[in-house]
Amino acid sequence: MTQRKRAVKTEPNYFHLQPEELKRVLSLALARGGDFADIFLEYRTSLSILMEEDIIKESSENVILGLGLRVIRKDKTGYAYTNDLSEEKLRSVALTASAIASGRAGQKFPFRRLRNLRTEKDVARARLVASSRPLQEKIQLVERAYRSALNYNQSIRKVQVAYGESLQHIKILNSEGVLVEDRRPMVKLVVMALAEKNGRRESGFCGGGGRVGLEYFKRELTPETIGQEAAREACLLLEAVDPPAGEMPVVLSPGHSGVLIHEAVGHLLEADFIRKKTSVLWNKLGKKVGSEQLNIYDDPTRPGFRGSYNFDDEGSRPHKTLLVEKGVVRGFLQDLLSARLMKKEPTGHGRREDFSCWPLPRMANTYIDRGDYDPEEIIRSVRKGFYVSRLSGGQVEDSGQFTFSVTLGYLIEDGRLGRPVRQATLIGTNLDILQKVEMVGSDLEFGWQTGTCSKEGQDVPVADGCPTMKISRMTVGGLR
Amino acid sequence: MKAASHDLRKLAEKLVQYGRKLGADEMEVTLYDGREFNVDVRLGRIENLVEADSRYCAFRLFKDKKVASASSSDLNLSTLQALVRKALTRASLTHADEFAGLPAPARFKVTEDSLKLYDPEVAGLRPQEKIKMALATERIALEDRRITNSFGASFVSNELRTILVNSSGFSGEYLQTYCSLSLGLQAGQGDHLVEDYWFSSKRHLRDLATPEEVARTAVERTVRQLNPQKVKTQNVPVIFEPTMTSWLLAFLFSCVSGTAVYQQTTFLAGRLGEKIGNDLITVIDDGLLPGRLGSRPFDSEGVPTQRTVVIENGVLRNYLCNTYAARKLNLPATGNGNGRGVVPNNFYLEPGTITPDEIIRSTRKGFLLTRVIGHGLNSVTGDISRGACGLWIEDGQAVYPVSEVTIAGNLGQILQNIELVGNDIQFESPVCGPTIRVGEMTVAGK
Repeated sequence: MTQRKRAVKTEPNYFHLQPEELKRVLSLALARGGDFADIFLEYRTSLSILMEEDIIKESSENVILGLGLRVIRKDKTGYAYTNDLSEEKLRSVALTASAIASGRAGQKFPFRRLRNLRTEKDVARARLVASSRPLQEKIQLVERAYRSALNYNQSIRKVQVAYGESLQHIKILNSEGVLVEDRRPMVKLVVMALAEKNGRRESGFCGGGGRVGLEYFKRELTPETIGQEAAREACLLLEAVDPPAGEMPVVLSPGHSGVLIHEAVGHLLEADFIRKKTSVLWNKLGKKVGSEQLNIYDDPTRPGFRGSYNFDDEGSRPHKTLLVEKGVVRGFLQDLLSARLMKKEPTGHGRREDFSCWPLPRMANTYIDRGDYDPEEIIRSVRKGFYVSRLSGGQVEDSGQFTFSVTLGYLIEDGRLGRPVRQATLIGTNLDILQKVEMVGSDLEFGWQTGTCSKEGQDVPVADGCPTMKISRMTVGGLR
Repeated sequence: MKAASHDLRKLAEKLVQYGRKLGADEMEVTLYDGREFNVDVRLGRIENLVEADSRYCAFRLFKDKKVASASSSDLNLSTLQALVRKALTRASLTHADEFAGLPAPARFKVTEDSLKLYDPEVAGLRPQEKIKMALATERIALEDRRITNSFGASFVSNELRTILVNSSGFSGEYLQTYCSLSLGLQAGQGDHLVEDYWFSSKRHLRDLATPEEVARTAVERTVRQLNPQKVKTQNVPVIFEPTMTSWLLAFLFSCVSGTAVYQQTTFLAGRLGEKIGNDLITVIDDGLLPGRLGSRPFDSEGVPTQRTVVIENGVLRNYLCNTYAARKLNLPATGNGNGRGVVPNNFYLEPGTITPDEIIRSTRKGFLLTRVIGHGLNSVTGDISRGACGLWIEDGQAVYPVSEVTIAGNLGQILQNIELVGNDIQFESPVCGPTIRVGEMTVAGK
């Protein structure tokens, strides 16, 4: 393990660019009077494998190589990127990005020595880094997941398994002299199972992965479990009834329901929406917005998690960030630009999809901390209501209106889970729903490590979690 | 970009030859050469300014009916050749698939000129002009006192050359442009905020809506939502505005895609020739409409694009297939290929004759759907469940805005229940349709 780590530090220079060259480019970028400039270099390889109809149907490999250069002048950002890393091209990229700045000319690169920040304790938990393992090993994982889903029972008609891995090497250099290099492994195994009975068809999903190595599929979550879970969900849905419609008490299952907090709280505490005053929470720092039982964090340092990183995509070290404490807003998710404009400390939440994108304040691993209630007691407290078991995603607007899509739910009847319920959308407004969080359970869990968050066209991997929770009233968008 | 085009085509040919030499039975290489400009302005100032050009290579190869693909933004020949060698190794470890392979060579008659895909005005427009348009759009909107905040206005333009070469003798390329002007706004006070946006997107600058038009529409759409109410849960007719018909059609597309059909992940599998909708429903996919956003001379596999009738007066006539799905289903390929998937070209609902105003006026009680949030669409079952905002209609008039409700229904039933089809199709996106009224859906609220 330690040997591999050391090896990484001296790995070949993927970018064929020396710090001196990059410093020259940054100097040129600041020559028109920018306040700040940075370079983001990326070399990423990824592999995907698809199995359906009993065969390994396809594999695909992808290479991303490129450089993004940003110049900031007050609140203006100039951005240019290229996948041609010749010095001539980089000079033209620097000039393009600096076009937004038109201040005094001739600023010099303000430091002599670079501060090379190192990873202290790698958040990746990858002993068997996927990209260094033979293809056969991955094909076996895919086949095992496929068989276990297909053999679950007679109703399973079709199964699809998708495996994906990537290894991203990054190098960041900024005009404050910070130099960061890191490598970020990621894997994902996802199963879709299709069940059919009496002419009715339903599908189920399950998956796992994160910033982990292939040993994860031995220790944490086996391909068999993933396959069976997908099949089980599809079969349960064959027996499911149409969802109810209207306002009712809602109980959220632990783990998957973290999507709710991602939408209802996380996005609206991203610092760009705060400083632009478009978020309904922009003036709520220090104010009570929800139930006393709500303690909410975003923690990019959780080992092995999909949303974790050693440095964010601006080279800042991330911190576990307290967002809400006993229902009171305590913090925002900051990147460098927003932190500078708001005169706050960066929290290490500046992220980007790849070198062609500039960083934005983003979530990493967002969760509601555990509360006091026994989960059983929470369900027992509801006479008639809706239990959210699995979710496929959600969306929020700056006004606070948000939705999340339930793929599998249950009716709650006299304090017990009743029949399974198919697809429904739940909708609410965050300031209203956060007040209505009536009970928070003691059973904090995280959802599957398969989540992706979209913002302004940029996708980044995230995770979220929560304990069992009860919301006293929420609109369930059903059919009956 | 002429010289670049020549070099890139040479690179594609070289890679095809390299793959064949190392033992690939068939090989297909696509190269993209793009140029992007994007300016975001907010509250009268430039917020972000992006200019870049980038290239990208993607290929597929087949050996013994086994397939492997790869892509790279590093166009170094040695990098690409290494990817070809690794792809051949990967292919040998996957399973043979009798349906895999390139399409038979086909002749295509149209050119980028006859399709009007390229506008030199977009390519030649100076950054200052683009910034000015974005600034003007936002400024006009902010003159309206009811608008309290802005998400900003953007002008985006890009140019993209696509080059496709394969080992069956296909060699083609086309150059296209795209431009868009958009604006997002917020209205309201304190904790009671509403938001919406408007945009125009075209291939040709002269077709783009003016800053005034984009601003007026964005303002109107935003302020009409002020002081919304939540309605009681009920079943009512739902009127879809054109942007709403677009997502309904995008969902329909995913249900008639040949890939979903052979995978049996759509409720419309196995139903060709059946009456799946009422007589008002005619849905076309057409890759040959001059100047439209979804037009192209050939698809990602070199299959010529065409006009395909998907639904004719309610009868399901065709699925949209790439070469692979076509072979699996024993149907013709329709020029909708996109990598290993299927994409729409211009996929649209044929407009009717009635105006959107007439549709609203003829509605005694109903819900005019203007925005949705969330993603509750299930192609296996056709189920739809989404968060919704809109206007409540009584006696042919909008009486108050509605928010925090959901709409739910099933696409199969909706296709049978579309009562009115408007005449207001705009082609602002490749998937589009006019205003429609659906007989009944569940609106869930209080």
